[in-house]
Amino acid sequence: MTANIFAASFFSDAYEWVTTLRLPVGEWVNVFVDFLMDTFGNQFAAIRTGISWMVDLLEAIIGFVPYWGVAIIIALIAWRIAGRGVAIFSLLGVLFIANIQLWDYAVITLAQIITATVIALVIGVPTGILAAKFKTVNSIVRPILDFMQTMPAFVYLIPAVFFFRIGSVPAVFATIIFAMPPAIRLTSLGIRQVPVELIEAGEAYGSNWHQLLFKIQLPQAMPTIMAGVNQCIMLALSMVVIASMIGAGGLGSVVRDGISSLDVGKGFEGGIAVVVIAIILDRLTQGSGKN
Amino acid sequence: MLSVAAIGCDTGSEESVEIGYVNWACATASSYLAANIIETELGIEANLNDLDAAPMWQSVATGDVDFIVCAWLPGTHAEYFGELEDEVVDLGPNYHDARIGLVVPTYVDIDSIEELNDHVDQFEGRIVGIDPGAGIMSATDTALDEYGLDFELVASGDAAMTAELRTAIQNEEWIVVTGWTPHWKFADFDLKFLEDPKGVYGGAETINTITRMDFASDNPAVQSFLDNYYLSAEQLGDLIGMMEEYDDNNEAAQAWMEANRDVVDGWLE
Repeated sequence: MTANIFAASFFSDAYEWVTTLRLPVGEWVNVFVDFLMDTFGNQFAAIRTGISWMVDLLEAIIGFVPYWGVAIIIALIAWRIAGRGVAIFSLLGVLFIANIQLWDYAVITLAQIITATVIALVIGVPTGILAAKFKTVNSIVRPILDFMQTMPAFVYLIPAVFFFRIGSVPAVFATIIFAMPPAIRLTSLGIRQVPVELIEAGEAYGSNWHQLLFKIQLPQAMPTIMAGVNQCIMLALSMVVIASMIGAGGLGSVVRDGISSLDVGKGFEGGIAVVVIAIILDRLTQGSGKN
Repeated sequence: MLSVAAIGCDTGSEESVEIGYVNWACATASSYLAANIIETELGIEANLNDLDAAPMWQSVATGDVDFIVCAWLPGTHAEYFGELEDEVVDLGPNYHDARIGLVVPTYVDIDSIEELNDHVDQFEGRIVGIDPGAGIMSATDTALDEYGLDFELVASGDAAMTAELRTAIQNEEWIVVTGWTPHWKFADFDLKFLEDPKGVYGGAETINTITRMDFASDNPAVQSFLDNYYLSAEQLGDLIGMMEEYDDNNEAAQAWMEANRDVVDGWLE
């Protein structure tokens, strides 16, 4: 009886506690963001300069070549690694984007996507390798990846603006966070799927870890890693409209411009240009994965 | 829920209204207040729908939403109103002296848009804007042409713009943004509008109440309240302040109603 009363009061107390003592999670995050800004202001400024340099450089390079030049170059690359069909599609796709007057916007978007993807891969692939090799790394990285992938992107747009101001840099930063997880996951998966016999054979011939990694594991895992690269690019493209909310410009702002002025046609044109770029990049990375 | 709706259909009078609003401080405050008055004073359920400006206008025209109290006319929402004029009813202003324009922190030592070109480097050659396609953005495009400004208009969004403004003010940097009032940024920071001698941004604007067609006959009680609904600059300022003070927008609206009993009664006459 007393036990029952005790239990009842315990649970009602616990219930009270759950609902009344609200954890100030939001305030902790605010304090943390302020702390980061105060402490690492210079580092953020340096990262900002670096990323902005890379985006500007790419934009200058892609923008320097006329659209038909880019169309031919991409078509040639596509012919070489993905076949004639993809080459023709790429050629027509770029000409189509230029035809609907969106090439200048596409250049900005491409520069940002490429920058974000390259950085995501430079961080992601080694992290994937480490996660495949060490169980501890894997168990630390996995929940972080879940977090990165499922946290709605809107949530880190504004901190990204605090750290990196508006423009292409916070957009690239937000895109990296959103697009990196599959690169890490699939790299790690690819390496772990390499047959044990192959590793043992390598070890029997006296290979060190370095030789094992570069001569056996990475080549064997390459198709899976390329699937990760492919996913990374696709996710980066899916961020363009969201990124335009923090000043990224490019095709995303064309879409938002169309939608927010009730001009569905204009929004659709921006959207279809994104789709064309996505298909070209998808076929190119899939093609190079097969080779 | 379902049965209430069904009864509502049978008797021909509606038991609930749908309100559309945009998630701007002034629009949120005014819409929550209207909703609370309709629920507690008129006993009619009022549902708030948080929408973007374009879908908000579209849904008044299609009748999915009964009314909005945050239509900026004649300038900012000119495009929407122009397109949908024949499909909606304009009940006129619920607020005067709204204003859009280029806004700088007070420590920025110029007063007119005409002086911007002398300080391109200090502003890093950019005007920080909001959503591409917003009325204030096309007005700013016109301003770039009319004043021959050597600036780039960077599109972002309300939140990103105010975040950028905050950072610039912390660093005491020069910054120019597309701004409008009423907005909480004027309460939080020391800001001023740049003079606009060519009148590109138009004069003062009004914030109007727009209803769907036939709303007056479907819901006369709410219609008559909306017709009277009008906030002075001071009243809206107080209300926005309360919205920030309270965690819950409904509590803030109720508190404002208690403090301004006579005003509310006046609207309901």
